[in-house]
Amino acid sequence: MTEHRRGRSCEGVSRRELFRLIGGGAGFALVNKLAAATPALAAAGASTLVVGGGGFDIKTLDPGRELENGTNNIDHATYDSLVTFYGEDLTTPRPSLATGWTISPDGKTYTFKLRPNVKFVSGNPLTSADVKWSIDRVRYIKGNAAFLLDGVEEVQAPDPLTVVVRLSEPRPAILPILSSPVLSAIDSKLVMENGGDASPDAKDKDKAEAYLNAHSAGTGAYILERYTPKQEIVLVKNPNHWRGAPKIDRIVLRNVQEPAAQELMIKRGDLDIATGIGPDQVRNLAGVPGVTVKTSLASTLVYVMMNQNPQVGGPFSNPKVVQAVRYAIDYQGMLALAGKGALRVAGIIPNNFPGALPAREAVKMDRERARALLREANLGEITGTLTYASDLVFYGVHANLIAQKVQEDLATVGIKIVLNGLPYSVAIQQYRDGKNQLGIWQWAADYPDVSDYLVFVPGRTVAKRTGWMPDAGPQAQEIVKIARAAESEVDTPKRVALYQKLNRMIAEHGPWAPLFQPVVPYAFRSNVRGVTFASAWMVDYYTVSKT
Amino acid sequence: MTLYRYIIRRVLLLVPMLVGITLLSFVLSHAVPADPVAANLGEQAAADPAIVAAFKHRWGLDQPLYRQYLVYLWNLAHGDMGTSISTRQPVLLDLRQHLPATIEISVAAMMLSILAGIPLGILAAVNRERPIDQAARVTSLVGVSTPVFWLGLVAILVFYARLGWAPAPGRLSASISPPPFVTGFVLADAVLAHRWDAALDWLRHLLLPAVVLSSYSLGIVTRMMRGSMLEVLGEEYVRTARAKGVPRWALLFRHAARNALIPIITIVGLSFGGLLSGAVVTETVFNWPGLGLYAFSSATSLDFPAIMGTGIVVAAVYIVVNLLVDIAYAFFDPRIRVG
Repeated sequence: MTEHRRGRSCEGVSRRELFRLIGGGAGFALVNKLAAATPALAAAGASTLVVGGGGFDIKTLDPGRELENGTNNIDHATYDSLVTFYGEDLTTPRPSLATGWTISPDGKTYTFKLRPNVKFVSGNPLTSADVKWSIDRVRYIKGNAAFLLDGVEEVQAPDPLTVVVRLSEPRPAILPILSSPVLSAIDSKLVMENGGDASPDAKDKDKAEAYLNAHSAGTGAYILERYTPKQEIVLVKNPNHWRGAPKIDRIVLRNVQEPAAQELMIKRGDLDIATGIGPDQVRNLAGVPGVTVKTSLASTLVYVMMNQNPQVGGPFSNPKVVQAVRYAIDYQGMLALAGKGALRVAGIIPNNFPGALPAREAVKMDRERARALLREANLGEITGTLTYASDLVFYGVHANLIAQKVQEDLATVGIKIVLNGLPYSVAIQQYRDGKNQLGIWQWAADYPDVSDYLVFVPGRTVAKRTGWMPDAGPQAQEIVKIARAAESEVDTPKRVALYQKLNRMIAEHGPWAPLFQPVVPYAFRSNVRGVTFASAWMVDYYTVSKT
Repeated sequence: MTLYRYIIRRVLLLVPMLVGITLLSFVLSHAVPADPVAANLGEQAAADPAIVAAFKHRWGLDQPLYRQYLVYLWNLAHGDMGTSISTRQPVLLDLRQHLPATIEISVAAMMLSILAGIPLGILAAVNRERPIDQAARVTSLVGVSTPVFWLGLVAILVFYARLGWAPAPGRLSASISPPPFVTGFVLADAVLAHRWDAALDWLRHLLLPAVVLSSYSLGIVTRMMRGSMLEVLGEEYVRTARAKGVPRWALLFRHAARNALIPIITIVGLSFGGLLSGAVVTETVFNWPGLGLYAFSSATSLDFPAIMGTGIVVAAVYIVVNLLVDIAYAFFDPRIRVG
């Protein structure tokens, strides 16, 4: 009561005085008003392209040490490889630093003719020695991408404009592999001066990574100006690029974590291109004036794996249960979750590779049949644990959602699933150690060729984790044989036929339920032209222009 | 004990505390049942023993754990925090690139909550039970109980997307090239380089995230100031002063508010730690390239050197702020020193 009175007695003074004190707060509002008065920022002029990406998985910009989508994107802009692909087509290798190539009749020797008069940013001329050095370096530093060179016996540089790649076995996949930014040509003279090494001891001797994170040393259309890890990358155009200077002067790539923030920014014109959006943003941005939304098929398969090692898989190592799981899944519902443009996959080879099967061959949901198969298996009540990375997002589709859907679908035929969502680094470790009973995982192509999907062959990387070994039975053994033949077949029609056969057999006998092939949604402002998106390196900035 | 000796003792205590923190973060990050190989190598590479061995060798992961820790401590003592697995540059440089952004936003939020919270608390106290008090109490309740990420998203929707008052999330506009890196603080670097455009652009970007981040501490400061002020206003000496005819202005600010401020110092210090952790969320929502973003991505890729470095720095900042609070406290209230 007394306090109350006291408060009143102070009132007149306090209000005036305190308003003065709150001046700070009022000032804030004022600054905000002033800020509003300045013209809307919008994404700089026609000379600067602002790109927002999510994830920003970039760990390094050193071509020899990278294998991340984000780095491929940058290195594809700052370096060139012997061959390349145009636009979204990842089936026809095209000339890039090589003007052409010949393949020996036994399919083991590839001879590339280099484009004359190509210069690195430093002014050094490109020669076959640079190409050899760059490829040798990838092999000897034993980085993330060294496996790309499996089966490459030697790279030779017989004259300054000829590169010869010799293989131990015929391997037609080598052409698409050589399009990878990992194997692009580095300015060997300059990089050697800055710690680069491509000798067999490069694993310990090469110290060029820091240099290559601060400077690009390629022939590409753009030059690295600034790289702040996890934040921002700025590229400027290379006026002396061999195809002619690109149309954009400067590219600013920003790490914008929140897909919702990217949506707002592209709506308001603060981003020119957004590459980190998901299905929600595709819906929200549809019909927004000034914004074009597209999707590009990812060379990726999302699947459920069922461990065939009886100690780990339990009832799921029974072929009838595997079949039952495949018939129990509501694939249409799964596609709805995956977003517009996502596709069914019949077998394990994504639709954009030769060897893929027509969609009509994909398993259709048939829960009666699933129940019948379970009765035939006669294992009583079936329960299992489904492991997945709870923080994993397949191009905007949360693994959590997919896992819940699988749980619901299997419950309809009486299979009880316990969800085991773990942080990615923990879940993938268990998966790689072959300890997932059931799991939801993806396989994203490392290079644009079907041979990267041979990991599903009994005993190879993915199959091994799933406990599916060559000794699993006669079918497994036959698949192994077909795989060997397919790998080294140089005749294209024969190759495609072999991959189709292999794919059909894995679809029938393999321990997987292929869920879908995801799409990568991306958006750009309508005044930006020439935007294409290929899963190998995302946007190819050379063709992009802005009005 | 003199104030001087008190400070020396507290500073010396910092060293064992920091060593303890390195041990704690080392043990915790290695207790996770995951392997940095899994988090950092691609699928094909992880299946190749030669590549895995090369990776472990490069990052010292092939050494026994106790050795890894001792090597880390030895290097740390020589000012080397190691190299980050996920940025491939010295952790020290990473921290220099990320910490200033977090300090900017935390200090701005702290200043906002002090500048607004203290007057608001006083205003509420002297107008107890009147509309202005009710409004202050509701404001502080909302500030304390609203999740920062939600508030941030709503603020972006309203002030950026709808009204267009705030600039796009980020620290600087894409059209503004950052001033040359000297201190890492945009304002300082911009002033050094006479880049007023960058300074202004930074200020515009800072405003909204700082306001959002300050919501929690603003609520706390307002409530504490109100409570503390009410208590002081009930003291005998205030009544005496009023009886003696001290002007109301002087009574409020010279006699009451100054004494009511003492507990606020503690609150400010404590909530600064809260600001640092709140900054993780705010930074993500506002795309503010600070330590929060760095810490999160380091943790998910099991980047041990980066996790340790972040832990040490955050702990050090927290400890130093607490030390400053204690010193300020001792300065304002001599009884503390004696105690």
